[in-house]
Amino acid sequence: MTTSVDTAGPAGAGTRRAGTSTLRFLAGKVGAAAVSLAFVVVLGFLLFRMIPGDPVATMTRDRPTSPEQLARLRERLGVDEPMVRQFLDYAGGLLRGDLGTSYIYNRPVSAMIGERLWPTILLVGTATLLAAALGLWLGVRAAWRRGSTFDRAQTGIALTLWSVPQFWLGLLLLTATQGLFPSRGMRSPDIPPDLLGQALDVAHHLVLPCVTLLAVTYAQYMLVMRSSLLEEMGAEYLTTARAKGLRDDLVRARHAVPNALLPTVTLVFLQFGMVVSGTVTVETVFSWPGLGLLTYEALRGPDLPLLQGLFVVLAGAVILMNLVAEVLYRVLDPRVRAS
Amino acid sequence: MAALLELHDLGVTYRTAAGPVPAVRGVDLTLGAGDTLGVAGESGSGKSTVALSVLRLLPRSATVTGRILLEGEDVRTMRWGRLRAVRWSSAAVVFQGAMHALNPVRRVGEQIAEPLRLHAPPGTARAAMPDSRLRARVADLLAAVGLPETRARAYPHELSGGQRQRVMIAMALACEPRLILADEPTTALDVLVQAQVLNLLRGLVAERGIGLMLISHDLSVLAATCARVAVMYRGEVAEHGPAADVMRRPRHPHTRALAAAFPTVGDPESRYAPATATALPPEPPGRGTREEPAVLAARGLRVRFRDRAGGEVAAVDGVDLDLRRDEIVALVGQSGSGKTTLARTLLALQRPSAGSVLFRGDPVPRSGTALRAYRRQVQLVLQDPAAALNPRHTVYEAVAEGPRIHRLPGDERSRVVAALEAAELRPAAEFLSRLPHELSGGQRQRVVIAGALALEPSVLVADEPVASLDASVRGEILALLLRLRREIGLAALVITHDLGLAWNIADRVAVMYRGRLVEEGAVEKVLLDPQHEYTRELLAAAAVPGTGEPAERGV
Amino acid sequence: MWQRRRSAAVRVWREFTRDRGGLVSLGVLGAVVLLAVLAPVLTDPAGLDVTRADGLPLRPPTWEYPLGTDVDGRSVLLLTLWGTRVSLLVGFAATVLSVLIGTVVGIAAAHLGGWVAAALLRFTDFFLALPSLVLAIALSSVLPRGSATIVLAIAVTSWPATARLVRAQALTVEGRPYIERAKALGGGHLHLVGRHVLPAVLPLVLANTTLVVGNSIIAESTLAFLGLGDPNAVSWGSMLQTALSSGAVSAGAWWYLLPPGLAIVVIVLSFTLVGRALETVLNPRLKGDRD
Repeated sequence: MTTSVDTAGPAGAGTRRAGTSTLRFLAGKVGAAAVSLAFVVVLGFLLFRMIPGDPVATMTRDRPTSPEQLARLRERLGVDEPMVRQFLDYAGGLLRGDLGTSYIYNRPVSAMIGERLWPTILLVGTATLLAAALGLWLGVRAAWRRGSTFDRAQTGIALTLWSVPQFWLGLLLLTATQGLFPSRGMRSPDIPPDLLGQALDVAHHLVLPCVTLLAVTYAQYMLVMRSSLLEEMGAEYLTTARAKGLRDDLVRARHAVPNALLPTVTLVFLQFGMVVSGTVTVETVFSWPGLGLLTYEALRGPDLPLLQGLFVVLAGAVILMNLVAEVLYRVLDPRVRAS
Repeated sequence: MAALLELHDLGVTYRTAAGPVPAVRGVDLTLGAGDTLGVAGESGSGKSTVALSVLRLLPRSATVTGRILLEGEDVRTMRWGRLRAVRWSSAAVVFQGAMHALNPVRRVGEQIAEPLRLHAPPGTARAAMPDSRLRARVADLLAAVGLPETRARAYPHELSGGQRQRVMIAMALACEPRLILADEPTTALDVLVQAQVLNLLRGLVAERGIGLMLISHDLSVLAATCARVAVMYRGEVAEHGPAADVMRRPRHPHTRALAAAFPTVGDPESRYAPATATALPPEPPGRGTREEPAVLAARGLRVRFRDRAGGEVAAVDGVDLDLRRDEIVALVGQSGSGKTTLARTLLALQRPSAGSVLFRGDPVPRSGTALRAYRRQVQLVLQDPAAALNPRHTVYEAVAEGPRIHRLPGDERSRVVAALEAAELRPAAEFLSRLPHELSGGQRQRVVIAGALALEPSVLVADEPVASLDASVRGEILALLLRLRREIGLAALVITHDLGLAWNIADRVAVMYRGRLVEEGAVEKVLLDPQHEYTRELLAAAAVPGTGEPAERGV
Repeated sequence: MWQRRRSAAVRVWREFTRDRGGLVSLGVLGAVVLLAVLAPVLTDPAGLDVTRADGLPLRPPTWEYPLGTDVDGRSVLLLTLWGTRVSLLVGFAATVLSVLIGTVVGIAAAHLGGWVAAALLRFTDFFLALPSLVLAIALSSVLPRGSATIVLAIAVTSWPATARLVRAQALTVEGRPYIERAKALGGGHLHLVGRHVLPAVLPLVLANTTLVVGNSIIAESTLAFLGLGDPNAVSWGSMLQTALSSGAVSAGAWWYLLPPGLAIVVIVLSFTLVGRALETVLNPRLKGDRD
């Protein structure tokens, strides 16, 4: 009989090729991300230089400006140069880390973004971590007791939060907790001298924006975790696990949850764009001095060079996060590793 | 001493939205140590429900009545703790389709070891099984099923179907149970691999004195493996006795239908005689007196695909094949042999990399109206009729689809009715407004065939036309193909893995292996006097495993 | 033929009504749309004019002004009612545009093979990855202010989700053997898409559309809140923007804050619940999943 045909399966060849295939995978994904970044750069140019027609007119539409001022602005932005020339200057500047100069503040855009980066990372990082932990935990519990009061209550709350505009939730929290938490900024004017005092002060300021950002984000994670686990719960290998004599809670903990977690964890990274969108409104409501508030300040102008820089940086960050998600998924899920 | 397993008056009822549905009724079965019992039946006969009820693995919507005694103890009244202890250590299960029954993201070694950790041998503390001993035990188990130790580190998707099923068997043996329940363990596997897995299972069971309950829709599998066979029909045991008796002298009509569905190659009684309730028309006079030109022909046909690693795989590797009017050719081979790719290329659904397809001597056009005209002549019948029909379209719309595409003249309704009548859906008017889900599997396949006949084609290409149908319907669909050949001279290429089908209806057979036709000729010549090694292997696998002889079976 | 269509519709309706949340939501939506349509008949738009407002600024609810007044002394109830018109109109228009683009791109990406499909998919993924609000902000800050700009900005940022969904669903249909059978019968692209793919995808598109409406309304209110909306129209978002910028929030004017926000939540939640109920009825894969 042909037993040899059967036992010489694809696995042997697979392990040998694993190294090069991982490299090829990484190269492909990094290449795709680079193409996306290039798209963003082009899109940034289209949006802020070409669509407005005359960017200077757009920026000054709401305020009286003298012809001399206009002329000086036109020269500084180089809007009278040919389009190709403008694009090459813009792209070359990007490569050198030069995002242009803010029209309102008259400062380099890259420096302004650099200053505002850390508050946003603090806010987004804290909120995402908490939202992921809370959302996954509640999602598992709700799916495992599908149809129970707990499940229905949690799904209902999540769906409601999902329907709430984030900025309104922020405003609501502001009015409801008046006086309990600072309503503006990241630090008190009278900064305590010691490090611990400063940290506590920032944490105190962080509470409201963080809760606002968390509320909507966790709902999304919970709903996805729940449906992902529900889908997994119909799987036949769970019957195998039960047939082996595993207790129900072990069937859940060892087989169902880890498998359902994979897509959800990846989603946390894939949904980064949603979180970035959330920070714009939340930082605006609480005057949290991050990139979101900077965006709001820039669009008041509108300060097109600053908006352009923010667009490129934020979109670039989302593309990077998506790259992380794809790589992470491959590391976590052996099935994807094979294909 | 009590029997290993006793089922007394077992009944299972499912609660559904449409009211209670009895799945199993009044089943009495007994299995002793070292005993082998086969349970046969078509889909929906309740055979899998019986197996799952033994370890109380049925969904919550199921109500179980009667007694299930596992080594003398009633499973129904066991406490949860006791039930968990009994699961896998007293009775283990080999599930159908190991791809889904294994956890896709854990290594198979861990999955085999899992019950070992759970059910420590009596007298030892739970922690007494150190990792080194666990690994050694897993290696032993893998060796017992003929897999190298290194495979413990593989994930299920890295193994072939046969290997996964071996892993399932190794897992079932882990806690040295006295009873193994095997639910369709070889159904999704190729003929050759199926024979290997069955041999392995039989060997292990005999060697270790384990009781085996084997569940299958294929009576020949059971006859080859089990001492006794019980045939289930609509939730009840229709017939029960020694395997040889049940096969040779089936008493229940349903058993007879099951037995006839898998004919013996070489048995003159089943040549040109698929199991059908209505008589076949006689052979048209003067057939085979003159050499006809080929209607459809492949010349040096090659189809190459690019695989993941960037290399090239030749799915079809230089095939020459002729199909004449009034002729049925069976194309046989394992899955992966390239037979479906060949069929798709003949239908111009796949472009050949080299070579050509000739229709009435002319190359088949690749696009435009000429291609459409060609497609009217050559029609396709697919394996799974449930999937081949759009669930939203009525029978009428499904059959009228072809004539509408080709804007055939004449009354559409009469054309549809005629096609349905030709496909033996009578009275046709009764079926016109039905949706596919309201039909049985056999009726659906007839609708697909009617859809093809509505275009009055000269060639029918049928890809595993009966593989997904229940045994009792199989013969009727094959008889329909044979009748169409005899009555209207239709040429048919039937793709199959089943040599019995070729014996039943085909005139010629072509054996495909790794993209090439290794043997081709008249059915009697190829199947009774095979020249190629691969054809011999296929024939051996189809016969009773181990004996090397075709199974002795009456019809 | 017609009878069968009707009986199918009746079956969908019966299954839909089994979901109480979906049914109640549908009722709420009907009532809100009716109110928005009838607003000019029921009320006098003169009360929206700042110069003709006759109430005292920022007063809590009274009999005369059941929801209090805003900073200009206008009735918050009147503003919320009229805001419904803008929010719904922008939400619906953006949804139609977005779903249309998404469906066409999704079906094309699934049905056409080769580099066209690959390019479309790449394009969709790129837009899906962009932070939608940032892109919408960018678009509405460079285009002329107004509702049309908002509609465009929302549609441009929300179509990729529909495209992905439609493509996934169309791909499962494309993989079905009945498509192969239709090809073998001689059917061309138009036949395949028109007779098989599109009818199979449409129910899901319908369910998805209600979810997109909810998202569009939130997006509209967010853009208006950031001051990017039509300066001459009252919408829920612009009301909240005024509430924050005029110091009404720090003054604790809850009656100014609650009505527009609650209106958004109720509308969006209703659309979401209707969408989920429809999805359960129309998507065979979810059948029996939720009970």
